[in-house]
Amino acid sequence: MAYDDSLSFVYFGPTKIIFGSGSSTGELESEMSALGCSRAVVVTDQGIIKAGLSEKIIKTLGEKCVGVFSDVPQDTGIDVVNRGAAFAREKGADIIISIGGGSVIDTAKCICILLTEGGSLANYEGIQLLTRPQTPHIVIPTTAGTGSEVTWIAVVYDKDKGQKILIVESYNAPRAAILDPQLTLGLPPLLTASTGMDAMTHAIEAMTSMQREPIADAMALHAIRLLSDYLPVCIKDGGNIRARGQVQMAATMAGWAFGNAMVGLVHAMAHSIGAVARVPHGVSCGIMLPYCMDYNIGDGEPETIAIYAAIAQALGVSKRDDEPGSAAMAAVQEIFDLLRKIGHPLKLSELGVTEEDIIKAADLSIADGAIVNNIRYVTGKDEVLEIYRRAL
Amino acid sequence: MATHKAFTQEWLDAWKQKIAGSQEYKEIAKEWEGSVGLICNADPSKNIPNPVYLFTDYWHGDVRDFLVCDETKVQTAKFIMTGDYARWKQVAKKELDATKALMQGKLKLKGDLTYVVRNVKTINKVIDLLTEVQTVWPDDV
Repeated sequence: MAYDDSLSFVYFGPTKIIFGSGSSTGELESEMSALGCSRAVVVTDQGIIKAGLSEKIIKTLGEKCVGVFSDVPQDTGIDVVNRGAAFAREKGADIIISIGGGSVIDTAKCICILLTEGGSLANYEGIQLLTRPQTPHIVIPTTAGTGSEVTWIAVVYDKDKGQKILIVESYNAPRAAILDPQLTLGLPPLLTASTGMDAMTHAIEAMTSMQREPIADAMALHAIRLLSDYLPVCIKDGGNIRARGQVQMAATMAGWAFGNAMVGLVHAMAHSIGAVARVPHGVSCGIMLPYCMDYNIGDGEPETIAIYAAIAQALGVSKRDDEPGSAAMAAVQEIFDLLRKIGHPLKLSELGVTEEDIIKAADLSIADGAIVNNIRYVTGKDEVLEIYRRAL
Repeated sequence: MATHKAFTQEWLDAWKQKIAGSQEYKEIAKEWEGSVGLICNADPSKNIPNPVYLFTDYWHGDVRDFLVCDETKVQTAKFIMTGDYARWKQVAKKELDATKALMQGKLKLKGDLTYVVRNVKTINKVIDLLTEVQTVWPDDV
């Protein structure tokens, strides 16, 4: 699993992490003060409010919370961001605090840009167009999977274009993420399983990306160890705060890993089947992961096999001296076993996906940006369709 | 083989000719629509006293305008890529992968990133063809 002479990379991970049970209320004010801020707008969604996850946090902030913007849907859009930015501007916010999952966090990231730069969000579609730090943003995630709390990518739907746009800005990475495992205690088993497998996919795909690098690999390997050990515990005992915390840290580390090294074929296929058949992202990642691992190993490249052998060690199913090919295949088997253990769907057909859907999704997958980073070169849609068929 | 000074109209014409003459490019780029503006930031220490603006236009395997232009024209491009001279030179000599340069923030991109990434083969081919143009770089003079 060595790196070749041409290795050249940039590792970026500026977000401060504050971890601990109760940290979302105990540490927030001091983190806000440390950033020199005193007027927070909280960005969240109705589900979080109904679940009572934001109430204590908002109460803790007292007068430092100048408003709550809770109008964030599951897939956010430019119109939502514009409304949120107008609200925050009207309230005189000097910091945004997001409480929620990926959509809430992405909305908050984009609000920060509009608060600092003004104008239209569409002007910032692209990579690294900003030239200065943006409005401070503290993230308090309520799920453990997306890794959005440490990435500097935001995805929002542009109604005018009829597509999602990507805004990739290192100046807009959240300043701090407060990981409070108490906030994930109420996650139901299937959501725990699917968000956990999203994180596992981030970790494994970061290691098998063309842009893999040693620091991201280190993050990914430890994330794999923690997820492998503690995701099943979270499913068995959702109230186990220790296990919840391990999974939360793993998701954040996997976020750093893929934020730097990118993702590959699993994400290309998950995005596509999600678009065609509305399969939730985490679930489609979990189902596709072992099939794509098997496909990548099928290339027979010693480097690829060595990486999967290292993954097998992190999964606890292989030792350092084991024959690499067998170890790599043990990793695939272990992911299948993990899916069974956590009650995760194993086949796309369990989600109502049809042959017609996978034919459409294969077309989309081959044009998905993530596929270019996959360690095995995917030659065409027939190869992708074959993988889908195995997972159907 | 003729050599051309980088960032001149003659250099762009030679590059355009290479692309237009490539059957492989025509096949790879059949899905690509739209212009790409390239901005090289000024670097007087490398003999780039002012920013350089280039406008290159591609359409379903064909090549259209390839122009040294001004800032106003470059801003009309569908995609705009900006970088320091040293980065552009590395990319043009294939010492730095263009996608990696974008992801690592070594080049900036204004426009639809997903479109660019999924058409990465087109971009790589265009750069491959640039390496076939005998180039004299401003700091090598």
